Amino acid sequence: MRSNMKNLKYIALIVAATSFTACKKQLEEKPYGFLSTANFYKTEADANSALIYAYSILPDLDYYARNFITLTEAPTEDIEIAAGKSADNVLLDKLSVSPVNASLRPGFQLPYVGINRANLVITYVPAIATMSETSRNEVVGEAYALRALHYFNLVRLFGAVPMHLEPVDDPSKTNLPKSSMKVIYDQIIDDLTKATAKTDQVRRLGRVNQVGAWGLLSKVYLTLASGKSSNAPGYDFVTNADEMYVKAKEYSSMVINKQSAYGLDPDLVSIYDVNKKAGPEHLWDASTDRTGTNEGLYSKLPKMFMPNINFRLPNNVFVPGGFNEFLTEAALYNSFDANDNRKNLLIISTIKDVNGGNSGTGPTQNLSITDAYTRPFSNKFNDSGWQAGDQTSCNTPILRYSDVLLVYAEASGPTAEGYAAVKAIRTRAGLGDLPPGLSVQQFRDAVLQERSWELCFEGQRLFDLRRTNNMEKILVQKYGKTITGDGYFFPIPQSEVDRNPNLNN
Amino acid sequence: MMFLLFNAVTALAQQRQITGVVADQQGITLPGVTVKLNGTAVNTVTNVKGEFKLDLTAGNNTLVFSFIGMQTLEIAAGPNQTKLQVTMQNASRDLNEVVVVGYGTTKKSDVTGSVGSIKGSDLNRTPSGSVDQLLQGKIPGVQVIAPSGQPGAGATIRVRGLGSRSGANALVVVDGIPLGDAGNIKQVNPDDIESIEVLKDASSASIYGSRGANGVILITTRRGKTGQARITLNALTTVSTLGNKLDVFHDPVDVATLNNESRQNGGEAAQYVGQNIGGTYYPSIAELRGIDPSKKPWPYNTNWADLVYRNPVSQSYTLSADGGTETTKYSVSGNYYNEQGLAIKNGYEKYVGRVNLEQKLKRNVTLGVNIISTWAKNYGQGLSVDRNIIFPALNPDGTYFHIGSNDYGNPLQIANEVLNKSKTIDILSSAFISWDIIKGLNLRSRISNTYGNSIGDNYQPRDATGTGYQFQGFGVVDNYSANHMIVENFLTYDRDLGTKHHVNFVAGTSYENTTVRTSNIQGQGFVNDILKNENIAGATTYMVNNNATRTVLESYYGRFNYTFLNRYLFTFTGRTDGSSKFGANNKYAFFPSGAVAWKVNEEAFMKAIPQVSELKLRGSYGIVGNQGISPYQSLSLLGSYKYFTDGGFQTGYGPPFFNDGSNVNGKVFNGLGNNSLKWETTRQMDLGIDLGLFDQRFTITADYYYKHTTDLLRLNQIALSSGYSVIQINDGVIDNKGFELGANAQILTGKLQWSLGGIFSLNRNKVLQIGGGNSVEAAGGDIEAIRAPLNYYINGQPALVFAGYHYGGIIQQTGGVSPVDGTVQRAGDIRYIAGGPLPVGQNGKYIIGNPNPDFTYSFNTSLKYVGFDLSAQVYGVKGNDVFNFSKFTPSAQLQRWTPDNPSTTYPSVNSTRVNYASDWYVEDGSFLRIQNVNLGYTFKPNTIKGISNLRIYFSGNNLYTFTKFNPSFDPEVQENGQFDGNYRKPRAFSLGLNVSF
Repeated sequence: MRSNMKNLKYIALIVAATSFTACKKQLEEKPYGFLSTANFYKTEADANSALIYAYSILPDLDYYARNFITLTEAPTEDIEIAAGKSADNVLLDKLSVSPVNASLRPGFQLPYVGINRANLVITYVPAIATMSETSRNEVVGEAYALRALHYFNLVRLFGAVPMHLEPVDDPSKTNLPKSSMKVIYDQIIDDLTKATAKTDQVRRLGRVNQVGAWGLLSKVYLTLASGKSSNAPGYDFVTNADEMYVKAKEYSSMVINKQSAYGLDPDLVSIYDVNKKAGPEHLWDASTDRTGTNEGLYSKLPKMFMPNINFRLPNNVFVPGGFNEFLTEAALYNSFDANDNRKNLLIISTIKDVNGGNSGTGPTQNLSITDAYTRPFSNKFNDSGWQAGDQTSCNTPILRYSDVLLVYAEASGPTAEGYAAVKAIRTRAGLGDLPPGLSVQQFRDAVLQERSWELCFEGQRLFDLRRTNNMEKILVQKYGKTITGDGYFFPIPQSEVDRNPNLNN
Repeated sequence: MMFLLFNAVTALAQQRQITGVVADQQGITLPGVTVKLNGTAVNTVTNVKGEFKLDLTAGNNTLVFSFIGMQTLEIAAGPNQTKLQVTMQNASRDLNEVVVVGYGTTKKSDVTGSVGSIKGSDLNRTPSGSVDQLLQGKIPGVQVIAPSGQPGAGATIRVRGLGSRSGANALVVVDGIPLGDAGNIKQVNPDDIESIEVLKDASSASIYGSRGANGVILITTRRGKTGQARITLNALTTVSTLGNKLDVFHDPVDVATLNNESRQNGGEAAQYVGQNIGGTYYPSIAELRGIDPSKKPWPYNTNWADLVYRNPVSQSYTLSADGGTETTKYSVSGNYYNEQGLAIKNGYEKYVGRVNLEQKLKRNVTLGVNIISTWAKNYGQGLSVDRNIIFPALNPDGTYFHIGSNDYGNPLQIANEVLNKSKTIDILSSAFISWDIIKGLNLRSRISNTYGNSIGDNYQPRDATGTGYQFQGFGVVDNYSANHMIVENFLTYDRDLGTKHHVNFVAGTSYENTTVRTSNIQGQGFVNDILKNENIAGATTYMVNNNATRTVLESYYGRFNYTFLNRYLFTFTGRTDGSSKFGANNKYAFFPSGAVAWKVNEEAFMKAIPQVSELKLRGSYGIVGNQGISPYQSLSLLGSYKYFTDGGFQTGYGPPFFNDGSNVNGKVFNGLGNNSLKWETTRQMDLGIDLGLFDQRFTITADYYYKHTTDLLRLNQIALSSGYSVIQINDGVIDNKGFELGANAQILTGKLQWSLGGIFSLNRNKVLQIGGGNSVEAAGGDIEAIRAPLNYYINGQPALVFAGYHYGGIIQQTGGVSPVDGTVQRAGDIRYIAGGPLPVGQNGKYIIGNPNPDFTYSFNTSLKYVGFDLSAQVYGVKGNDVFNFSKFTPSAQLQRWTPDNPSTTYPSVNSTRVNYASDWYVEDGSFLRIQNVNLGYTFKPNTIKGISNLRIYFSGNNLYTFTKFNPSFDPEVQENGQFDGNYRKPRAFSLGLNVSF
């Protein structure tokens, strides 16, 4: 009996010693190697890094480095999707876009990813007291410009969409209803106005500053102005087109007159030279470099345009074969004046050392615009330092000086300033002046045409056709395409419709 | 009367002795076997060498041999016989056999849940780097999918169906140490395995709580036994050959003709016209035919299979020693394993060392250690033999031949120049102390640790692979180390209370702490390829990733068994798990279960039917969980990425993303936390019957189960406008219902022994709800070959069904537009029929296939005569669909559609055509395979002096497969039914030797 008692004591002792009190603290996770919003956004370095992260979505392959160009160029007369490439892109090319088209999804999603990142900067950085007001303003101002750019892209692609102005940090905040185009444009203008007030004019590679924000704001006003005056679908909410033209002119003239760093590059080809990224035309680029480790840090965009053979460019750069997905359309190619250097220098019609494997022994080949497969291709996207493989340092322009100059011309109409702006562009291209005495409409049509030649392949044409109510007039009536469904706004992707129950509330 | 008396007298007068040796099927002598003279009290026990001596009466005698885990054997000894050699067989269904259950053992006859069991000696003798593959067709309800024949490849194990979307893997427990997910149990040498048990139902698995929902595999290694001291050598030498006839081109003219035709159909210029492209001369077809008078006959017709494949020789040697005294028991073994792949320069090497040691310190205190250490090396890779036969493998100067300037697929160069190697070290160790405190009450304290370390080396030279060229040399060093510490204390109480009641309970706690650290260093762009990945700092660009995770699992568990009159059995089991992986609102989970069993054969009314040796009805119900998520998924986290701006790439921080591996829209934006994240819950009901006839000569076990899994852990796709793609949540419901049957019969038990066994497993899987209000959701990203996902979860359908268009034949006349992409349909194209009910793809897709089999089955048989034994196993899968991306094989391309051959089976060849998922690709994946045939001979014990046992055997594995699937491939494909050319499975012929000293 006694020994039993002793044993029981032991048992009690051991059970007490070996069990442990339930302790929730043990089960708390302290993640290694991950920052959380709780321990971030404390210093100036944190603020800069949050802004860098917000920028880093721009050159993503699903944004400016590929998909955005596909979305905005394939439906127009600039490029055709080669036979046998992605079915969704072929349907985009044929202007027959349904909500399940897989190319729409990133076009819709990535701007929102960028918006959420910009919202984090806008929400948290103003509270960082250890920063100087100047640097805080610069970071927050650029974030406003980023947010405006994303919403400007969304509203031009899809029309009314949900509008998030705060970071999404809880599952309950994920489903917002659509905001009207008016509300979104008001917000874009508000954001860009704040951006212009907060940012400086220092040039930083791949980043926007006050000049870029002015330029973007002028484009926003021009979109509203031309949309209203041409009765393009969706722009009824704009009350006065002329007021908007005045604003567009006001802000574009600030780009032209209130800075000294930017202007027209006299040499067309060097605009696109990756060694001259600080050239005078680059107001804002999605920036990449071939030393990056992933696509999105480097760009494969040039390969989309290039034939699927190995060859050398006229400047002797060896191209190890492209994807040959974007074929230049005859409609664009044949629209150029024979003397237009934007065709003669910026579209490549002759390649060397074809299939020579960089040996220099391959033949030279002239490319034909009527070929089903290998056509003249854009010289705007390449890399003179191309070494091997797919990595290029090719940036995608978001805003160029000549774009803003043409905004200024279009907003000014057939005035002396308007004519002068177009003249500067045409002279550089090797062309004469526009005929004098054009009516307002004729002049704006001419500027629109000029924009096509000047900005082709750069993701502008679809928006220009849409805002001027020209989808039918130019694509259908002039070039014989067929539009199935809404030509002016893409449908919101099915994946958003399925997952956001509040979308149409 | 006189006669009887006479007999008795002679019996007394002629008393004599018989001696003999007892061994098991492998010829390993058995100490401790009880030998009894039938009908008398005369008995003895075999000694360390398995020998016995017994006094007999004169005339005919019958000896009865009995041993736990073996079938009781009766042998007649003739009047003049003085020597006996006895081979005992494993008792597949001995009622006194002990089976391992979580935190304890129990008699097989007392099991209330559903537990499958196999002895180590019943595993097939064939090279296998991981234990998983050896379980195929061995246990009802356990499906093993092993599509790859690569050395060291693992397998997918599903216990009672796919009940999760985030890793429905069984938990593996080795000697009580929870190791982790099944799939590649490489740490255990199959020769060391005493038994493997699979806990299938909720009652048996709920002792493992939040890790039991997908079954638990318990592996027990050999222990030393009292009274034996033995050294054993097992050797296995294997020659492998290709298991299938290859479908490749044999005539260069075919290759060139098809290539030209394909390019012309695709709007490209023909290449084989006698021209230089990228520095390579492409001969014309006439030249290949040898009918171009201006050219010499074409000199090349490369047989890539001859260059790339071989008939490799693999080896496995295990040397073990085990034995014990009353106070010390030991079992020690070492294994060297070397498996060579069918592809050249591809192999797997492994060393496993194991020590199990038990020491009795006092009458009631025992301590012990178990250690298994494994070193493994994996090197090389699978190689393609589909390369163009028109061109040679090597240039005249011995360098590797490249076709044109952008070709990096020369398999010889890849085999010889690409570095691809990984080395792993695993150490499983545990120390325990066991204290019998009072009668029936035992306390066991155990500290275990599993350590795993691996280093992966990869280098792709600029000249050998596309990646190597793209980056001008690409090198990686991958480091992984994981440590898993487990502290457990549990009490076991086992007692008869009076004569009618028996209780047994287990109660314990455990604390587990797992730390995983990884780092990955990647360099791109090297000056030359000489140093490979040895100096990554020398690369132009390098990338560094490091990561660590720490998870904690804190648990309380208990099991209470109560038996009344040895007839009515009740089991209640429960476990509470607290896991750090769960969200802040759901840290703890409780998993209860209960089971009842009725041993009908113990009832008085059954005594009238002595033929029924066992009849047990079982029923169980309970809740088990699955916590198959990565750590930190419930938290909001920031990740980093770069942007090229002034001063180069700068690093930014924000909500992270990962790449799901698909190349189209592959980025998945995550990082939105979920405080309510928790485990998956599976409610499972099991009804079973165990029936044994004629003293267990015929046995049947049958079970019906119903598994209802809710709160599925999944990445929920959320509104794109949130800026996130996914959030980890719990919702969705999957059901698995099924029936399993295992039957065994010892048809002949005399001198010629013949037994037959069969296993049948049927499972019906159904997705009741995907969750999130969706009805259709893709499993996985876009597949480039079909530009869409293939497998889907669809409400009301089995998991992973294929979605695609219907195949409407081959278009014979150009005209009309494709309903899929709006392009003009050309003669020779596949006609797609859209308009299906699924709202995916253009114009609606259909369900075009189901990769889940109707059932799986296996049969095994064994014959024994004197020293010879012959056994065979066949394994079959019935009714699964395979999506065969490799359907258009070379021989099929030769039957393509052309204007002259308006095929209705195969489309034309076209280099630029885009293909979509359609039932053209879908084939029946059913097969029946002769898995293993084993012929052995066991020499009489002590035939050779000093050698107590000697057995040699021949084992053939993967001998033949009956299937309607393309005969050039093995039909066993991965769980999702996608087939795109696996590493080919070898047909293996092994010669084995077991020697004991």
